[in-house]
Amino acid sequence: MVRVKSRYLLCEVNVSDRSRLLLLDDRAVATAVRAAVARTHGDYGSALCTIGFSVKYLNAHTGIVFLRFPKRSYKLLWSALPFITSVESRGQKIPCSLNCLHVGGTIRTCQKFLIRYNTQQLHLMLPQCKNEGKEEKQQVRKAILNCSLPGGNKEAFEDELEIEEDEEE
Amino acid sequence: MSAAKVKMREKKMRNQPASVQYPSSQGSGQEGGDTPSTGATGGDGPSDIHRSTDRQKKHHHRSGWVRGHQRDGGSYDKEMPKYITGGAFAKARAAEVSAMLKAVTKTTGSSHVFGALPKHMRRRAMSHNTKRLPRRLRDVANRLREKSLQAGSKKKKEQAKCKSRKARRRHGNLLLEFNRRQRKNVWLETHIWHAKRFHMVKKWGYCLGDRPTYKCYRPSYRAMSTHCLLQDLSYYCCIELQGEEDKLLASLSQLTSKEAGPTFAAVLCTSGKRQGSVVVYRAGLYPSQPLGPVTFLWRPRTQGSTHRQLWIWAHPTNKQDLLAELQSVCQCTEAIVPPLVPAATTAETGPTPEPETRPEKTPEATRLPGTKRKRNCKDAGEPPAKKILGDGTRSPTCPVTWRSNSTGIVINDLTMEIVRYRLIGPQSHSVLAETFEAATDCDERNKSQTSSLWWPEHCKDESKMNLHRQQADVFHILKDIYSTGELPAGTVLGLAVDDPRLTLPTKKVKALPSVKQTQEVDEAEEEKRRELMLRGVPEHCCQSSLWDQSVRDNVTNNKMSEQELNRMKSEVLVPGSRLSSTPPQGRVPVLLVHQPGKQVGHEMSSWGAGWDLLLPKGWGMAFWVPLVYRGVRIGGLNMSLKHSQNKGIPHFPHDYPDCPAGVCFEEEQEAELLNKFKRRPPAKRTNYIKHGCLAPFRCPWQQLAEEWELIAMQTTTRTDTLTEEETTSRPDDGVAKPQSRFTVLRNRKSLRLLSDWCRPTTSKGQRRCRVGQAPPLDSSAARQFLAEHGTSVVWVRLSLPSKGKPELHAAVCVPVAEDLRLLNKKLDGGGPQEPLHKNHFKSRIKRKKKGAKKAATSSDKTDGKESDLPNLTTSTENPKSSSESSADLIFGLWPDPLPSVTSHCSRVTLGWVTQGDFSLSAGCGEALGFVSVAGLLNTLLDQPAEHRGVVLLRNPASLQYRLAKINIEV
Repeated sequence: MVRVKSRYLLCEVNVSDRSRLLLLDDRAVATAVRAAVARTHGDYGSALCTIGFSVKYLNAHTGIVFLRFPKRSYKLLWSALPFITSVESRGQKIPCSLNCLHVGGTIRTCQKFLIRYNTQQLHLMLPQCKNEGKEEKQQVRKAILNCSLPGGNKEAFEDELEIEEDEEE
Repeated sequence: MSAAKVKMREKKMRNQPASVQYPSSQGSGQEGGDTPSTGATGGDGPSDIHRSTDRQKKHHHRSGWVRGHQRDGGSYDKEMPKYITGGAFAKARAAEVSAMLKAVTKTTGSSHVFGALPKHMRRRAMSHNTKRLPRRLRDVANRLREKSLQAGSKKKKEQAKCKSRKARRRHGNLLLEFNRRQRKNVWLETHIWHAKRFHMVKKWGYCLGDRPTYKCYRPSYRAMSTHCLLQDLSYYCCIELQGEEDKLLASLSQLTSKEAGPTFAAVLCTSGKRQGSVVVYRAGLYPSQPLGPVTFLWRPRTQGSTHRQLWIWAHPTNKQDLLAELQSVCQCTEAIVPPLVPAATTAETGPTPEPETRPEKTPEATRLPGTKRKRNCKDAGEPPAKKILGDGTRSPTCPVTWRSNSTGIVINDLTMEIVRYRLIGPQSHSVLAETFEAATDCDERNKSQTSSLWWPEHCKDESKMNLHRQQADVFHILKDIYSTGELPAGTVLGLAVDDPRLTLPTKKVKALPSVKQTQEVDEAEEEKRRELMLRGVPEHCCQSSLWDQSVRDNVTNNKMSEQELNRMKSEVLVPGSRLSSTPPQGRVPVLLVHQPGKQVGHEMSSWGAGWDLLLPKGWGMAFWVPLVYRGVRIGGLNMSLKHSQNKGIPHFPHDYPDCPAGVCFEEEQEAELLNKFKRRPPAKRTNYIKHGCLAPFRCPWQQLAEEWELIAMQTTTRTDTLTEEETTSRPDDGVAKPQSRFTVLRNRKSLRLLSDWCRPTTSKGQRRCRVGQAPPLDSSAARQFLAEHGTSVVWVRLSLPSKGKPELHAAVCVPVAEDLRLLNKKLDGGGPQEPLHKNHFKSRIKRKKKGAKKAATSSDKTDGKESDLPNLTTSTENPKSSSESSADLIFGLWPDPLPSVTSHCSRVTLGWVTQGDFSLSAGCGEALGFVSVAGLLNTLLDQPAEHRGVVLLRNPASLQYRLAKINIEV
């Protein structure tokens, strides 16, 4: 089978003020990337950006972005990412930078990587929380437990099937 | 995106995480805090965040990756939190992880279990053997499978529950099933035998064998010409007339005419010695409105009584008309309703469960309401488990007997009461002689006591036994005859025979004639044989007990079952030997009726002669199997047709276009052929228009007769020879003058005259008989003849001396002078060719197609614009009118009304062939059909004497004319 191949970049949006992260928007990110590409690579770059580029996923809480580039030109487009200094969203300019964590051939590998990365981050976070009291620590612990319990998945899968059957009927 | 596509996409993307972000709107609404947000700050958490976890509950709203940006309303109603905490951040991380986990573990592919497997791990048999699946998928697959099975079983439940084959084949159940299937179409007694070996067709209310499933066309022909071919003709209907002889003859004479040959009153026939055959007409309407041919048989006179019995055998298509006509002729209006409880004696229509069970059931129902259902089942099951003998479709209350008060004539419908087998072939008498043995006498002790069986009673009467001995003698002499054809046509022999099952050979043997050498034969026997061959069976020997209703019923009801017979056979000391004594119920009265062979024409005379065997009902199979064991061939309807074709006689109902049954048959045939024609794509059909064939599937006899009458009239008035281009004979001319229906010429005298005229006067091979009698053919004689039979058609036989195999509905045409010159040169390359015709309808069909399209588009246009209305109406009207005129325009067929059928081709059409084939008996193509009398006479007048009776024959799907000789045989 022939398919259109693309590369998925898993990026982290780094902001100085974390509360402003929540203002992020997938459209805003996309425009920011496009603008950066156009700035660095000119018309050719922006043309490459028109086809097969999209923001697949954005989590405003954690600042994780999945960017999709066509495989042919992803290196060129990727090279423009460091030039993003701010994203304009909802009328506000959010100074930020994009940090690429992972490049994957499918969105799935990115997701897998993200799981690993997130758990790692949580584990790193746990020893760091000391001043905020017990509450925070406990929450982090709970989160770690939450994301590493393999049993929960299976149940979810079962539920899934039930729903599926209902739909079919 | 369409709804289905959206749904599919939704399903696929169900597990994929959506972007987690605040709605693009921001406002000053209050914040709801249900999401994983900021636990510490309480109310200030991000509200209404679209998360993958709770997306399922509201997946109408932003599900999966949705292209483009979506606006949730216009106003900003959600507020950003002022600050974030580590705990909230951790929570968000955890939520993301779980969302991603879900996305990763689930496949995005189809929801099917097998879709979850990579391709290289899929196996074909997984769908029904779930153990081939990896274990993690087995549970799901099992569940799916169960579900699909349930769905399947639901559908199956709706169908009728079928019993097992074993249960279905159990005797009682099988019989019930058979009886059910006989309700619509009557089964002959040999139905099961035939159904196993023949292609069965449902015709005329019967289930009949058309042709065997094995290849036997030629062997069957050989059997007819050298040995014996057996057919079951029980579907022929017998109508019995009883009454005073003179009254019967008087009423029956209205139906026939002496001009068409011997009638019911022929002396030989009335004596009961011979079977006769006539064509019956509607009362008093002799040349027009025939009903069809029938055969009849008088019962020999008993001493001192003028009360006679007459059987008329008719074809089932013909029967109802004939019965009605007979009733009106004999004034038999009073129907005698048969007694409702026939019980043992009559057993009119086999099972009559209603009257028998009803008296049983009613008291029971009142007494034991609890057991009613069970008994009902039993009741329903038991009584009909009786074999249907006779007509199963007729209701028991339907009257079968009509009596006349004025004339005292009783008409009795004996349909399916008498089994009739036909043996065709020169050795049929030896088959009969080997199969039957004249009934043996009863034992002495049986004679003394009275018996319920007919034979012991019969034995007591000395005169009857005397007669029986004489009949047995005649039957013995029959063995010595060389060929069946030697006997006088229509000879009748009554006989009582032993059950033929007793002498059933263990192996099939071919019955061979046992003609003794002349030196061995003593004088007396020789004398007897000659007597039989010359005069037939003496009159008193034609008497049979089969004529008696009571004897017939007695024999039918006391038939020994096969099972009982086999038991008796098994008790014989030496296995395989004959039973020592014939069981008392093993005598059957039969009637043997000789069937004449080819009587007309010169060659192959008495070909296809044979015997008809009449049996009481119920004994069909008992006689059939022993006959089959004598090495006869079995033929179906197909062979009947070939038999009559070889004999050169018209076959009913195919060749009786003037009878109602024949008309009906022609219509059916046309519909069938047309259907067959239409099944082909137009490019693969024969284009009959181009072949110049106006009506390939039917023969417009009426139009032919009318046109020829017109032509003949013109030629006689002008006293001019017939010219080829008769342009005046338009179909509308014929329509304008109301004409009587065409008739088939059956007048013996006229036929003989015509036959003589047809023969070439100077031909070596032809014998010229009755030269002096026949007036020479000239215009005055012809005019006189035409005055009588202007609109008639005549049955002719056409033989093709050279090449060519005529087919159904081939046209018989008049040769022009050049064609006859061709004949002189003896060119074997065949006759002339018809030039290819032009298909005028091709453009019309095309235009029709186009017109249909145009009409559709233009009607749209007219709705919108009115400016170009007149232009459009002209364009639409033309195709419409043409399409209306040719609503059923079929490519390759002439639409109705036909143009002049006679002058359509380069050679003038005389008539058509109704049966045509390669004749195995003649060794060349032979055709039977009708030609117009007027046309034939015109042609004959025109032809030189040495070429009289030469015509051209052309198949509907060919352009080649073949020269053929016309024969009218009387």
